[in-house]
Amino acid sequence: MSTSSTALLARRSIRARLGRTIAIAVAITAGVSFVVGSFVLADSLRDVFTDLFDELSEDVDLQVRSVQEFDTNDAREPIEVTLVDEVRAIDGVEVAEPTLTRYAQLINDEGEAVSPAGGPTLGVSWEGDAGIQGVTIREGVPPEGPDEVAIDKATADRERISIGDEVTYLTDTGQHTGTVTATIGLGDTDSFGGAALVALDLDTALDKFGADGKVDTIDIKVADGADVAAVEAELESVLTNTVEVITGEQVAEESAEGVNEFVDLFGNGLLIFAFITTFVSGFIINNVFQITIGQRLRELALMRAVGASGRQVRRMIVGEALILGIVATILGVFGGLAVARLLITAFNAAGAGFPSSATVIQPRTVIIAFLVGVGITMLSVLVPSRRAARIPPVAAMRPELGFGALGRRRLIGGVVVTIVGLVMFLVGMFAQPGGTQGLIFFAGGGGLLLFVGVASVSSTIARPVTRAIGWPIDKLFKVPGALARENVARAPRRTSSSAAALMIGVSLVSAAAVFASSLRTTFVDTLENAITADYIVTDDSFQGLSPVVAETLAEVPELSAVTPVRGISGQVEGDTKSFGAVDAIAFEELVDPDLQEGTIGGLSENGVLVHTDPAGDLDLEIGSEVEVLYQNGETSTLTVEGIYGDATFGNWLISLDTLEAVSDAPARDFFIIGKLADEVDAETGDAAVAAAIEEFPQANLQTNAEFRESQEAQINQLLVIISLLLAFAIVIAVLGISITLALGVFERTREIGLLRAVGMNRRQTRRSIRWEAVIVSTFGAIIGIVLGTFLGVVLSLAVPDDIISKLAFNPTITVIILIGGVVAGLLAALYPSFKASNMDVLDAIATE
Amino acid sequence: MNTPAPPSPPSPPKVAAAGAVDATKIYGVGDAQVRALDGVTVAFEQGKFTAIMGPSGSGKSTLLHALAGLDTLTSGDTYIGETYLSTLDDKQLTELRRTKVGFIFQAFNLIPTLTAEENIRLPMMLGGESGDAEWIDTVVTTVGLRERLSHRPSELSGGQQQRVAVARALASQPQIIFADEPTGNLDSTTGAEILDFMRRAVREYGQTIVMVTHDPGAASYSDRVVFVGDGKITGDMDEPTADGVLDHLKQHGV
Repeated sequence: MSTSSTALLARRSIRARLGRTIAIAVAITAGVSFVVGSFVLADSLRDVFTDLFDELSEDVDLQVRSVQEFDTNDAREPIEVTLVDEVRAIDGVEVAEPTLTRYAQLINDEGEAVSPAGGPTLGVSWEGDAGIQGVTIREGVPPEGPDEVAIDKATADRERISIGDEVTYLTDTGQHTGTVTATIGLGDTDSFGGAALVALDLDTALDKFGADGKVDTIDIKVADGADVAAVEAELESVLTNTVEVITGEQVAEESAEGVNEFVDLFGNGLLIFAFITTFVSGFIINNVFQITIGQRLRELALMRAVGASGRQVRRMIVGEALILGIVATILGVFGGLAVARLLITAFNAAGAGFPSSATVIQPRTVIIAFLVGVGITMLSVLVPSRRAARIPPVAAMRPELGFGALGRRRLIGGVVVTIVGLVMFLVGMFAQPGGTQGLIFFAGGGGLLLFVGVASVSSTIARPVTRAIGWPIDKLFKVPGALARENVARAPRRTSSSAAALMIGVSLVSAAAVFASSLRTTFVDTLENAITADYIVTDDSFQGLSPVVAETLAEVPELSAVTPVRGISGQVEGDTKSFGAVDAIAFEELVDPDLQEGTIGGLSENGVLVHTDPAGDLDLEIGSEVEVLYQNGETSTLTVEGIYGDATFGNWLISLDTLEAVSDAPARDFFIIGKLADEVDAETGDAAVAAAIEEFPQANLQTNAEFRESQEAQINQLLVIISLLLAFAIVIAVLGISITLALGVFERTREIGLLRAVGMNRRQTRRSIRWEAVIVSTFGAIIGIVLGTFLGVVLSLAVPDDIISKLAFNPTITVIILIGGVVAGLLAALYPSFKASNMDVLDAIATE
Repeated sequence: MNTPAPPSPPSPPKVAAAGAVDATKIYGVGDAQVRALDGVTVAFEQGKFTAIMGPSGSGKSTLLHALAGLDTLTSGDTYIGETYLSTLDDKQLTELRRTKVGFIFQAFNLIPTLTAEENIRLPMMLGGESGDAEWIDTVVTTVGLRERLSHRPSELSGGQQQRVAVARALASQPQIIFADEPTGNLDSTTGAEILDFMRRAVREYGQTIVMVTHDPGAASYSDRVVFVGDGKITGDMDEPTADGVLDHLKQHGV
């Protein structure tokens, strides 16, 4: 038999068993689609953002800005506006445009804050021409002097503000008024990427924004014919060493990089779920191959009898799988485009605001799709094809000679794989060797091995466990129940492999549930014990809150203590640390950080409070001095004045004065906490605080309880998102149970025919198959819950104590998962039970 | 349908446990048409052991399946007791098979996941009934299975499995038992044993059995042989002997 005849047989075999072939193909296609979709989505987003930033900095040849001593997300230090003239004096500089972007909030006639839905509200300096930032006048003339402003056309239209109207706006320095002289847009659009804009001339902006004579950057356009590199060199010689000059390409690159970091994170997160889905598909493909090779035993033995070698039989099986894998992968690549679109729609429905085009298929994506799709198929068929090759020719005549028992070897193999997987997982989680890659290799790889091992070992407990699950069904549903129970128990290996796919999905959901519960419990505990504040004001705009908000709140007489929480990065002994900055006196009243030594309230300028962990690592005690380098090059020597044990507010705390002394970057608060004075009742207090905060639409006021609830809701939401992403894998798992069951029904055609002949009606037949599915799926769900709870506990123990310090379990979710398991079984049984009950009795009995 | 349905036949005669009236079964269309049953009218008396004989393709199995409510006719009708089967829907047919009919097939008679006893009780269990305990006990004793009741089919020999099948057919005291080559897979000694049980069930307990066979030896256990050829009844013989049956077959050139 030549290779071509093997190929012919493989092709014929695929065609002859179309239903099974389609089922395997669906499993492969689904996995590949998810993988491709994740890549396409991430690549498309990257593309869109890169284009966007390229366009934005299209006219910027060079940019002058302050130097950052180390990489950080802190805002760059502003630069002196006087530099603009120096820059303009340089040969070849055609335009030098200072940029200044700060907080500015329009207030309408009723005194209410005007806010685009969820978008930021910004104030910018604008010199009146199109400039190199692409500002275009829609109507009117540029604002000049302290009493004139321009606003974006979208906001003007929405708020019905026309040229000549007087508007009120709020900045970091307080409330101001101005006459609208122009409506503006960005290029052809009426708005600025969803932001509401107040534009002032440079001097007015410097003054009203409290910029203190400093701007963010100076954007430069080089004259036609001038050499950009020469201008850059010239600039470098003029500028001091705290200021640098970079090219427009670098500007675009860096802006895109910032967004791409997020895109990468997002894309990699999706990929994890995509690979889980593929992994689950692999289980199903393997199971289907195992079963069908068992069913084709006679055919394969006949081939051996007429002269095919074991190798040829194996090649035929592998050939079938290869054709299937390739075809399904091609479908999966196209499916991936649909998945990317679906994901965009889903995330946009949740408010993500992604651009809707997703069409970037890189060659890398296609290569990975084939590696995954064809690879998983080949791996799945490895063991079944070897078994097929070992079928003795005589099995054609005596089918009972089929496959030797693999029980013991399988069990030993399963136990070994489980233990290796477990050890790797634990090492990965706790010892964490080799950073992120180590985590992927040890924890991820260990997790996969653990699943494979448990799936394999679970066949040895399948019989007793499924008999136990089946007991009430047996008692309740008599003959159909008893038959279901027996049918599950008669093939423990098949039962465990078809339940394995669901087991994986369920265990991941369970692990996430334990993790989320523990996270929530730890968090609630902290809120209850450590934070005595009554109010928490958070920021909805992702820009941070203007200090005006905290200042306004501090003046509310009903509040006895208010502090903003601000942050700055600083390097201690070469490592970048996050410092929290607070009003220490108010902080002491609002938070109990579990002080071990020293004091909080007396925190002086250049004093620092340190958490016990870094204090231990760096050998710090009260009175120790710490050298800190900030991103703008400033340094300070801080003295340790207190050591505390609760890391809710980070590991390092300094006073606001300390921060302001070293940084000129615009101050932005992460959140603000405050407390009612003793004699004020909650109702009066709530009203007073709400009234004070009204003019800041980005500021989100919550009471302690509301904050707790919203944080809990966020944790729950996270769990829901994880579950939804796992839904793909779970749907495939249900499909797997369905396929296995349908194959089982096919195998038992005669038996079902006989039952029907002696008087089992269609309903009883359906019921019997249905309960069989439910027992299998419940078995998978139970193992999944046990394994998942274990994984969740390990995960919760492995994360640092300041994130999770208490283990918690959520019985409700466990019950929901169990019910979900039963429902999964019912769904999986739909097709097989229909098929079984609609069999022609006579045909069924006559089946060989 | 080519043949018009016959006028509603009169109530079946009281003495017949089952029968067919002008039963016709046609497979295929046009030139490829095969008449598996060609207007067969036959009745099977109560309390008798009747054998249906005929060569392969004669229509004997089709007749048995139609009588048992497993197959439908192109025209004509079959009845069990006073019930015409064409008047029943699938649910009623299932109910009829469960309560009024017993089956013994050539092979694969038992559900592998159930014990011998459970297999025997299966039709009653499916109906949620427990059956007549005394009678089931008698049946079990008669077929000599007491020691094997808790065994699964895979732990029983071929002969023992067929005995369980006979016991199951008898256990629910059906109106009629249909047997399709029940000894076809057994050696002659074991086959004789099974046939003997069947004959005793008829003689001692008044059971009605209709059996399809192509073995004259097996037919000789019966009270009457109905010969089928080319979808028609070609002969009828009471109190047959093996030689008598063979002679008949030879005369008809089979």
